[in-house]
Order: sequence, then C-alpha cells, then structure tokens
Amino acid sequence: MAQSGISEGGKGAVRATGHCLCGAIEIEIRGKLRDVVVCHCGQCRRQHGAPPSYTSAPWSNVTVRGEKNLKWYQSSAQARRGFCRLCGSSLFWEPVGEGRVAIAAGCLEKPTGLRTVRHIFVAEKADFDEITDGLEQLPHSMAAVTA
Amino acid sequence: MSGRKTTGGCLCGGVRYEIDGPLAPPSACHCGQCRRYHGALGLYTLAPSERYKIKGDRNLAWFESSPGIRRGFCRVCGSKLFWERIGSGQLDVTMGSIDPPSGLKIVKHIHLEDAGDYYDPPSR
Repeated sequence: MAQSGISEGGKGAVRATGHCLCGAIEIEIRGKLRDVVVCHCGQCRRQHGAPPSYTSAPWSNVTVRGEKNLKWYQSSAQARRGFCRLCGSSLFWEPVGEGRVAIAAGCLEKPTGLRTVRHIFVAEKADFDEITDGLEQLPHSMAAVTA
Repeated sequence: MSGRKTTGGCLCGGVRYEIDGPLAPPSACHCGQCRRYHGALGLYTLAPSERYKIKGDRNLAWFESSPGIRRGFCRVCGSKLFWERIGSGQLDVTMGSIDPPSGLKIVKHIHLEDAGDYYDPPSR
C-alpha cells in the first residue's frame, strides 16, 4: 500500500544514507539534516525501548526503498511511527501535516556529520534515564525548532 | 527483593509482561546493531526466562539479528521489548518498556568502541 508523503527524494547531492537492521528498508536523504534531538517522552521510551535520537528532514528530500516492509503505527492524533515489519527497527516519526519526517539517527551510516544539541520532554524522563552531557534540556516539546 | 514484581509492555498494549523477582543491574549498549534497531541506545535489564509471564504472544515478533541472538518486538506498534541469547535461559528486557518507576539505574555502558558519532559517549 502506498504511503502518503513518501517521495522519490529531492534535488542535490546525497547528504546521508541509512538502513534498518535487516536491510529491507534503505533510505537516502538529500539537502540538510536537522541537528539531533533526544526525546524523553513516555511514548518514545516505550516504542524505542530507550530515549531515541532523531534528526529531521522535509519528506521531499527523503527516498525510501523497500517501502512494502515499512509499517506505520499511529501513536497519537498528531503523529505516526514507522518501523521495519521484518526486524522491528525504528526509522521514522512523522508529525501529521508538517511535510517533514524525523529520522532515527541510529539508522544512518557513519560519518553522519550530525551533533546532538538538546533533550526534549525531560519532564517525562524515566527514573533510570540520566542526562549527563550538559546539553540544553526542554521540559516538553520544541515547538520553535523546526526542520 | 524477593517479593518484587515488575510489569511492562509495548506502546499499543498488544504485548504485556510480568517478571517475578529482582532484575539485574541495567546496562546501556552503544553497538551499531542496537542503535540501528532502537534508534537509541540499547537499555536492558535481565532476568531468568522462567520468571517472565508474557501476554499477547501472537503480537510478539522475533528477529534473529546475529547467529543465536534474537530480538523481540511488537508487530503492531514496533515497540522493542526483548533480547535473547537463544538457549541461555535468560531474557533481556528493554528498560523503556517497564511500567515506571523501574527503581533501577544504568550501571554500565558497553560497546563504546562502536558508539554513534552524533553524541559524546560517556567515559565510563
């Protein structure tokens, strides 16, 4: 089934490539990638099993191969999460109607050229989750920070 | 600790578990497999398999990520739940799937040599 929002990629040089653990899904991103943000919200924690690190890009700059293996789970009215149905790898978090997708930094090939810049939803942080890197911490979302 | 019971599950509720008794001190794995699979570090604790009760088994999918190692996730919502060395009699469970509070602290970081380049790994 076709997934709305998935394009054949934008123009310009490939900025980054990545794939899920089993390799059934490959991604390619052109243009800029946002700095990495770590989310400590309860939904992310359960779905990833740990606080995830996400970069972000406009959908129009992202190419997905092996899309038939990409399964989406609507985790709230605002967003859905994309993972590989074969190996379970988390790849995407997509906010509805923004035309962009957050991409799990862990799936990208090194060197990523990315840096982690902040932690969000720190108010929901679990008891085992210690932040020791001295980066900015926001209690909730980062509405002002966009792709 | 002997009376302790831990509960947890996936984001959609399709898989739930209970673990009787104490849990091993959790670790944070920085290896490329964990980072690719979780989109995060692999944060796991551990208990003998026979102390687990798992509900919603039909929603639990297993992926053999290397010979003799398999990872369990919910096929409905993609939540990462288990890591198992097949035949070891033990089952690792993700810290993030545990109903809070876990009462646990991460005590060690492993596979730092394979850490991502988008963060500064802890020195310990």
